[in-house]
Amino acid sequence: MLEIKNLHVSVDHNPILKGLNLKVNKGEIHAIMGPNGSGKSTLASVIAGREEYEIDKGSIVFFNKELSELSADERAKKGIFLAFQYPVEIPGVSTTNFIKTAVNQIRQSKGKKPLDAVSFLKIMKEKMKLVEIKQTLLSRSINEGFSGGEKKKNEIFQMAMLEPELAILDETDSGLDIDALKIVANGVNKLKSKNNATILVTHYQRLLDYIIPDFVHVLIDGKIVKSGDKNLALELEEKGYDWIKVNN
Amino acid sequence: MKDFTLIKENINKESNTLLKNRKNKVYNSIKNALNLYNEEYKFSPLLKRVSKKFDILNSILNIDTKASFNNDLLKKYKKQFSIITINGIFQKNISKIPSGLQVNVYNDLNKDEKKAFHKSFNNQDDSNNDIFTSINTINYKESLIIKINKNYSSKEHINILNFLNSKSVNHLRKLIVCNPNSKATFLEEIINMSSNENFSTSVTEIFQEENSEIEYFTLQNNPNDFHFNSINISQKKNSISNCFTFSYSGALVRNNLNIELKDKNCYANMYGFYALKNNSHVDNHTTVDHIDENSISNEHYKGIMDGNSNGVFNGKIFVRKKAQKTNAFQSNNNILLSDNAKVNTKPQLEIWADDVKCSHGCTVGQLDEEAMFYLMSRGIPKNKAISILLGAFFEEILEKIENDFIKEKIKNITEKQLEYFAL
Repeated sequence: MLEIKNLHVSVDHNPILKGLNLKVNKGEIHAIMGPNGSGKSTLASVIAGREEYEIDKGSIVFFNKELSELSADERAKKGIFLAFQYPVEIPGVSTTNFIKTAVNQIRQSKGKKPLDAVSFLKIMKEKMKLVEIKQTLLSRSINEGFSGGEKKKNEIFQMAMLEPELAILDETDSGLDIDALKIVANGVNKLKSKNNATILVTHYQRLLDYIIPDFVHVLIDGKIVKSGDKNLALELEEKGYDWIKVNN
Repeated sequence: MKDFTLIKENINKESNTLLKNRKNKVYNSIKNALNLYNEEYKFSPLLKRVSKKFDILNSILNIDTKASFNNDLLKKYKKQFSIITINGIFQKNISKIPSGLQVNVYNDLNKDEKKAFHKSFNNQDDSNNDIFTSINTINYKESLIIKINKNYSSKEHINILNFLNSKSVNHLRKLIVCNPNSKATFLEEIINMSSNENFSTSVTEIFQEENSEIEYFTLQNNPNDFHFNSINISQKKNSISNCFTFSYSGALVRNNLNIELKDKNCYANMYGFYALKNNSHVDNHTTVDHIDENSISNEHYKGIMDGNSNGVFNGKIFVRKKAQKTNAFQSNNNILLSDNAKVNTKPQLEIWADDVKCSHGCTVGQLDEEAMFYLMSRGIPKNKAISILLGAFFEEILEKIENDFIKEKIKNITEKQLEYFAL
């Protein structure tokens, strides 16, 4: 599904990713762990198509298509979804209208008819249960005045509505209390299928108690320095990142 | 410009002694103003621009009100109340005026009404400070005198439609009296029938009696117009004014909005929205003067500038010594969409009272890139994301409009402009 080869990325001429390789297949969950500043969020943003990042070298191929020439919206239409670490507040734009516009843009790109108001509401009601998000929240402006937990729930709710092939969750666990974390993880697990894949970007092992990854990668200084299964995350939790740095 | 004899001649032609005296007074201030550097026009050199192109001191003897006007132009306004002028001359026969409102010109007034007119006319305007108001005061041909009856109240708005087709400078003039407990809504537009460059001035004096309420909308969308507009409001006890200024294009448009809260418990709302492209230049200068205690003024102007366009905002709040317990708020927010677009904004506050609540502020920025990326990452194309964000920026002004018909009209005009910005 996704294949990243020798990816070099810089921001304002500062190199952040320095030759990263990653392969993600359908049905897999990958966790990317690493210390602050190792390039985790950059990786998430680059896949989603944030413009400030410059790809100096390497390639990101998604379903046999090179992504670097595509804008963020085109990538979303191809099935990529980024759950933001810090979801943006956009006053004056209703969450429901925004999601409806997004859903219909993506449907349109797949040659499907836009959803009418009734069927949209029906689907919305179903997905709302999944992340236990309240209707009142969705009638407000996008993320405006939402609590940290509500913002993250809203991200997973949007993911449920857009049904992406590849979901990248950028530190979705940060700022969540344990109850909210369970709800969010539960939502992600329910959305999981053999046809889609998930990349979890995280600092801590905590999230991985609830979402069990097939692969764990350790990102340090712009490169994946170690890969393994879920036990690697436990080992990291115990020994810290220095353990890997010393061993490399 | 140097030819002052011309304007003196105009004054001498005035047969009404009272008006002649007025004009002579104003004349003296013009003479001074022409030679002085004017800080108030620092970012909008209207005088320099129009004096090169137009014979601004001259006044037309015989105004042609027939040329190029036909009733088809009114189709759009069918079934609506409308007060119509052509080149500044009142067209009673094609106007449609609700009962409860009297619209006249000076010669139609009876003796007492004339007396009352002289007590008000030129007493509230800014002819002491603004040369264009002075020129208007000397050279206007006909003043509309609009009287809103006591207790008049209607949800239906009244258009004030000013059709222009003359190459000469036109001067529009109005005096509006809102009698006690009345409530009226006006929407004023200038419709330029030719595509030639054109210069016009418009001066309006509004006198609000106790408990009266007025909503006054100004809509500006003529790319070739040089236009000076001055609205001056005097408010008495418990009165409410709601002024909205919407500008979408103009060669150089200057709007003065001056409000005097002369009495206790007055409420003034001033809202503006300008969305400009190409070479449009729009300048909003507002003043609100809190003279007595316990009044509220609330001002919010927002603007979007694209292309080489130019926006100016200057808002002054005065709180006089007697005006304790005043609440005065003012803000101006701007979005620049291109490297060549420009905005100058200046909030000013002068407070002499000590028990007041005042705030002012302004912002100038670009479209929020984080928000753009957020919308696009959900599959929304760039142009759509831009119009969503600009629409949200505009929404804050739109939601202040209570009249549904006007709200819809303004919404449609704005959406067209925002779609253009998103291209």
